[in-house]
Amino acid sequence: MLIDINAYVGHWPFQQLKYNTCAALLERMNKFGVDISVISNLNGIFYKNTQPANEELIAEIRSNKRFQDRFIPFAVINPIYAGWKDDLDICVNKLGFKGVRIYPKYHDFDIVDPACIELVKRVRDYGLPVAFNFRMVDSRQRSWMDIDYVVATPKPEWNLKNILPIIKAVPDAKYMILNFANNAALNEEEMNLVKKSNLIIDTSGRSITNMADFIKNYGKDKFAFGTHAPILDYLTGQLRIESLRDTEADEATKELLRSGNAKKIMGI
Amino acid sequence: MNRRKFFASTGLSAAGLLVTESLFGFNPKDKMVQLTGAPSARYDVVKEMMKYPKIDAHVHCDLGNSNPEAQKKFAEILMEYAERFNIRKLILSKPVTKLIKGVPDASPEAFIDHNNIILGLMKLHPDRLTGSFTFNPIHLKASLEEIKRCVDQGMVGAKTYYQTKISDPSFYPIVEKMIDLKMIIHTHAETQLGVGGYRMKYNGNKPKNVSIPEDFVEIAKRYPEGMFQHAHIGGGGDWEYMCKALKNSPNVYVDTSGSNNEEHMIDFALQQLGEDRLLFGSDNCYYQSVGKILASNLNEAQRKKIFFENFNNILRKGGHHVD
Repeated sequence: MLIDINAYVGHWPFQQLKYNTCAALLERMNKFGVDISVISNLNGIFYKNTQPANEELIAEIRSNKRFQDRFIPFAVINPIYAGWKDDLDICVNKLGFKGVRIYPKYHDFDIVDPACIELVKRVRDYGLPVAFNFRMVDSRQRSWMDIDYVVATPKPEWNLKNILPIIKAVPDAKYMILNFANNAALNEEEMNLVKKSNLIIDTSGRSITNMADFIKNYGKDKFAFGTHAPILDYLTGQLRIESLRDTEADEATKELLRSGNAKKIMGI
Repeated sequence: MNRRKFFASTGLSAAGLLVTESLFGFNPKDKMVQLTGAPSARYDVVKEMMKYPKIDAHVHCDLGNSNPEAQKKFAEILMEYAERFNIRKLILSKPVTKLIKGVPDASPEAFIDHNNIILGLMKLHPDRLTGSFTFNPIHLKASLEEIKRCVDQGMVGAKTYYQTKISDPSFYPIVEKMIDLKMIIHTHAETQLGVGGYRMKYNGNKPKNVSIPEDFVEIAKRYPEGMFQHAHIGGGGDWEYMCKALKNSPNVYVDTSGSNNEEHMIDFALQQLGEDRLLFGSDNCYYQSVGKILASNLNEAQRKKIFFENFNNILRKGGHHVD
């Protein structure tokens, strides 16, 4: 079974996306053998008030029984926008969301802003995972209207070190780290934090240059299949897993990466 | 609600994938829906990948290392990559990327040293590795001598970086030499805010002579019989801009290498540039260089062209093709 923990529907305001509806994504899933996708609505990154994006997503999923069978919705919540606690409660208890994706850079708050910490704690208390990403798009091709965290400048894109402070602040939450796109080097203390945390990293990110080495360094329980679709291509995340040689990962390990680790963190 | 209560109320602790059907008037406790997943056939991405022999038109040795022993070890990684991804031939290069106080190292000594490393690796793995020589056209005599030396030892093309723009007049005699040799000139290229003359109100923090698509358009127009390779539309720049800018320059090829593997990149490049000007390359980003092509809508014949035939046809002009 393949579970994609990093997919979206919706629009990117600076570039036309393909396969960015539930129907189109489902076709990609069927074509390339993906059983289930965890999705959010990209529009929620750009709406000041994110809740209509969550409602749009659920309405789309509800529009077709096939979508309900194949998609797991994650809400987009901005913890410094009025009413977010109610929004979160509605998302989880009324709309059926199974996790939350948080965008500190786009929503303009520090990752350890007290509001962000409170959001992560609340999601933790619901028993659900929270997701952070390194970046949404490659900043070197960013629009002049996009955020200005740019590779090789004094204000670079995030790497794992930028995400660790929230894990340190709420160590018993469940985390998904998406689009692992930049420096992977950690000191011993940081690596210990990653290893003891309930955390998985999806396989879509460009910094995973040798999947076997990453499994060796981080552990086989730390990775899960992800595409970052429809922004990134649909197969690279899968290729990282399937091209592992038997000497690098046995079938049981591959199954953890395909779906086992995702199931575990989502409690399914 | 604490976590224990939440699990109990939603049934998430039960076996199988369960989700509440809870939208807009539905009570989450009323009905549970099972996420059954697809009975879809497994897609064999490895089998698909191995179907296509490939020529990697943009790949490097260890760019930051001048130690021959370290380079030998790196070559082993390249050999492993070639086996895993069915790469028949790697067009290896070591452009001078070093900056001295923010300015690219432009010295002949540097490009000669770098070419020596490639020549050494070619001798180690002659079946799999061939090379592109680097030079700096502002040192014309040294560059022409270096080109002769490298061609005599089997190199098959040129690779330049950001020391000098591809459209700079200093390139003209080199381009003429490359036309005589029937070889392609592969040059680093970017389209990023504040780089190389593109939207310079921003500061991209890059050397000033990075080539941008307009530079390729200019040199290609001056030398329609020349062959130019615009590096890595997946190299992080605005690939839509690159492809549109190069659309009407038929003697500019683009390689699809780079760490960026956006979903629509390959289909868009095909639409803008046609199927004969796209070259597979990795720029040492192995998974995504293959993944983005397999995920595209290219047909079988187009895949064969991009993975192998297009670059082999370029090599054929100089008699250096792969059988």
